[in-house]
Amino acid sequence: MKQTPELDRIQKKMQPGVLTLKGFLGHDDRKLADIIAADCQTLLRLGINAAQITERLQDLADRGADLMEQEILVDSRYLVRVRDDRGKIPSPWGDGLFEKGDVDLVDQKTGKTLKWNRLTLRLISKHGFFGGYGSEYRIDPDVACEILDLKPVVDRSPESI
Amino acid sequence: MTPIITAVLVLSALSGILTLLLLVAEFFFANYGECTIDVNKGDKTFKVEGGASLLTSLASQKLFLPSGCGGRGGPLLPTETPYLNDEEQKSDVRLSCQVKVRGDIKIEVPEELLSIKEFETVIESITDYTHDIKGLRFRLPEGETIKFRAGQFANLFSKPYDDVKEETSRAYSISSAPSDNKAIELVVRYVPNGMVTTYVFKHLKQGDKARLIGPFGEFFLRDTSREIVCIAGGSGLAPIRSIILDMIDRGISNRKATFFFGAVSQRDLYYVEEFKVIEKEHPWFRFVPALSKDDSDHPYEKGIITEVVARNYGDMTELEAYLCGSPGMIDACCKVLASKGMPADRIYYDKFS
Repeated sequence: MKQTPELDRIQKKMQPGVLTLKGFLGHDDRKLADIIAADCQTLLRLGINAAQITERLQDLADRGADLMEQEILVDSRYLVRVRDDRGKIPSPWGDGLFEKGDVDLVDQKTGKTLKWNRLTLRLISKHGFFGGYGSEYRIDPDVACEILDLKPVVDRSPESI
Repeated sequence: MTPIITAVLVLSALSGILTLLLLVAEFFFANYGECTIDVNKGDKTFKVEGGASLLTSLASQKLFLPSGCGGRGGPLLPTETPYLNDEEQKSDVRLSCQVKVRGDIKIEVPEELLSIKEFETVIESITDYTHDIKGLRFRLPEGETIKFRAGQFANLFSKPYDDVKEETSRAYSISSAPSDNKAIELVVRYVPNGMVTTYVFKHLKQGDKARLIGPFGEFFLRDTSREIVCIAGGSGLAPIRSIILDMIDRGISNRKATFFFGAVSQRDLYYVEEFKVIEKEHPWFRFVPALSKDDSDHPYEKGIITEVVARNYGDMTELEAYLCGSPGMIDACCKVLASKGMPADRIYYDKFS
């Protein structure tokens, strides 16, 4: 994947203090194209696709929604808490505004955690961006696959990712 | 090989010539000079430099629009159509952020938007209401006043700090009464990683200057005689407080009003004493705090706010509701109110979205 001028422009918006206080990249100093390509390779290796991750995360968020920020135990395994915040966050790709409201998940089986919001899911599903290393919103495909118990899909072609 | 190189060279030369032509054309034709914006048939006229968006041009003249306005004239731009519904398109509504001022222009702006002003305020006080909610009182410059409807909001600007290199603004509901017009009070809940709330919680101090623009919003008490039910959570208490204080100021005592305030535990409650005093002094008002996860011995209702509302009412067909909170809370409340017979057009809310 090539780092185009368009990706340069988007990566600038991902810096801390531009669209969000801490940005989207954590301490990751790779080019945006390389971050996306590396996670794409991980998905290929795992035999899963981005939709499997986002659909499962959305399902967990939905089950924790409308509870006025109360924590809920889902599937006897995941502690889920959905924050109710007002306002919206813009996508660095410029393709929309997404409601705030972080979802915090603790997997009681592994002790591992995930944090995401509506924009996180959009960036994964539409742009294949899972977050930079060190970003608290990074949904590492390896970690997500383990926590969410995702099974490989049959089609392992790059187009299915 | 030679024909390929020749073709590449010819194409490059053509592209260069076209670019040059565009630059020359832009220099001669895109200079729109001074343009006149006529607001509301001559109520206000501004001379602005052409070429900028209508929104920016009006803001440079201290006329602040929340987003859309009644700019008229010319066909709809492709960048506008996704944001306008059929009815708005048919009635010539335009988006001021998309329309460029390229000549003299006449626009109609709703009267209430003309009262939107910019204020260079001073922070009079900052109060910790809960572990993650602060109240801020902004004193307006000497001699200035703000005119707003209880329930409206203002945009607060943060100054550059740490990694944030530019001014950033966010909307916060006004919690004070319209009669208190020499100051503005806002309620701010801390949002982790929020650019403006982090500024408010970690950098803003009493005595600091702060820029505000407002008032904005369509959330205000409708002029009917119906009983009202207000439901809020977190910082959503702010506009409801303003509405209740305004009802007291205006002597509206013929409408029963019940305010359900949802919180997780006692540490999330604030303004309880004030509302209890109002309840004592004004028989038409009832305050119902509810805690969703607090097993301690407390005098408040227990359960999620939607459950509490549901068990407090039978038929709600004749009531009207005012909601303020997160989109999730509002959606959940709308479902409950609809299940109790309240028509959708009598449920008012501001999702801030």
